[in-house]
Amino acid sequence: MMSLSNKSLNQHLPGMAILVMLSCLALFALPATAEPTTRFEHIYTPRGTAHLTIANVNGTIHVSAWDKRTILVRANTAPAVEITEREVGDDILIAVKRSFRVGRADFEINIPADTYLTLKNLMGDIDVQNVTGPISIDSIDSNVRLIGLNSPTVDVKVTSGDILFDGNLHDNGSYSMLAVKGDLDITVPESTPFNLHARTLSGTINLGSFISNLVSGSREPKNISGSYLKGGPQLSLTAYAGRILLHKK
Amino acid sequence: MICEQYQELISDYIDGLLELGEQTMVERHLGDCEPCRAVRDDLLQIVHFSHQLPEQAPSTALWSRIQNELAKEQPAGTSARLKLWWVRLRAQNFNLSLPQLAASAAALTIILSIGMIVFRHDSTTPPINEAGMAGAVTNLSKVDMDELEQQINRLSESIEQKKSEWNPELRATYERNLIYVNQSLAECRHQVKDNPADDAAQELMLNAYREKVRLLEGFESF
Repeated sequence: MMSLSNKSLNQHLPGMAILVMLSCLALFALPATAEPTTRFEHIYTPRGTAHLTIANVNGTIHVSAWDKRTILVRANTAPAVEITEREVGDDILIAVKRSFRVGRADFEINIPADTYLTLKNLMGDIDVQNVTGPISIDSIDSNVRLIGLNSPTVDVKVTSGDILFDGNLHDNGSYSMLAVKGDLDITVPESTPFNLHARTLSGTINLGSFISNLVSGSREPKNISGSYLKGGPQLSLTAYAGRILLHKK
Repeated sequence: MICEQYQELISDYIDGLLELGEQTMVERHLGDCEPCRAVRDDLLQIVHFSHQLPEQAPSTALWSRIQNELAKEQPAGTSARLKLWWVRLRAQNFNLSLPQLAASAAALTIILSIGMIVFRHDSTTPPINEAGMAGAVTNLSKVDMDELEQQINRLSESIEQKKSEWNPELRATYERNLIYVNQSLAECRHQVKDNPADDAAQELMLNAYREKVRLLEGFESF
């Protein structure tokens, strides 16, 4: 036979359980940071092939190609962050105003694949996917991922951070990647010919199975140059304090 | 190595003076050790504040006083020792047999020949420049190097004046990346000094200078 207190507890148990679950849901639904964010969103409609420049300071930049001819730029920013826009013909510049407070701005951008892309950042990772236009990236403290690229020119410079490239090389293309502190991890199709110039100051160079078909100009441990298959696109890789890794797709 | 030993290396690490192996060890340790990171941050602060101190130029009379003191200590002692050595040498009685004499003459000829070869080599080697890199700037344009160094000095001074107003994250990012660039630059200079004719080393060094300019320009506008 149940006591009076046990019976009342059992009656209230389902209600208490629901209350606890709702409290947990409310806690998890709260934003991870207490700082409020503002939203920037703009659609641009270039008439021809656009030249898009994003100049950020602190935050991520994610760019991916889509099948529309418009450019969609969205950003979640800290309240103190000011974004300026300038559009002259098909040249579009979006810049975060520099201030010593350095609020965060995270960009999500969709572009036509053939857009000419220039990305500048100080702190924050950069991610570009499935783009076919020329790319230039200039950052200080960023990991850079370039996936599914089919661009004629790629120029990436970071002071600290890893650069990951997985894409195709054009016949007369130029691909230059430099990191002062960080690794360069490059994946290209096995059948792609290229001219390679890989240099490192205090890191290592590992060309994997590409080395067996590399007709060399130089084969020093920290300075390798040569032609793979019949040569063609220029692949220039420089890592001062980091590894250079070449993989076959 | 224990923390005390790592902490002795942190100052050289900040100045980019460590060998690569030591540098990697220190970085690995700093990644795991909060107290040593605090020491590093304190040293960075000291470096920062010391750059802000006004330069103290010594008075013009100071060198004259130092020079006079040095002159008082040395001359009699040195000349007396030289005289004594000469007297002792003249007092020696050298008795050499013919084979000994021939061997001495041959040795002297060899020494003189080597000396002439070395002298000729030195006279065709370009003089060491102020940066201490013998011949290194013959391939690299000296004008390029001077321009880059001037640009670096100008940008660095501008940043040092403003840095105290930056938020801690920005300042830490700048200082961390400056350390990376300075370490690479120091390593490049080392390599060029050891191999002045190495074009690849010179090109890496020039690009390292350009990377330092790029870093400084990135922060200069704050």
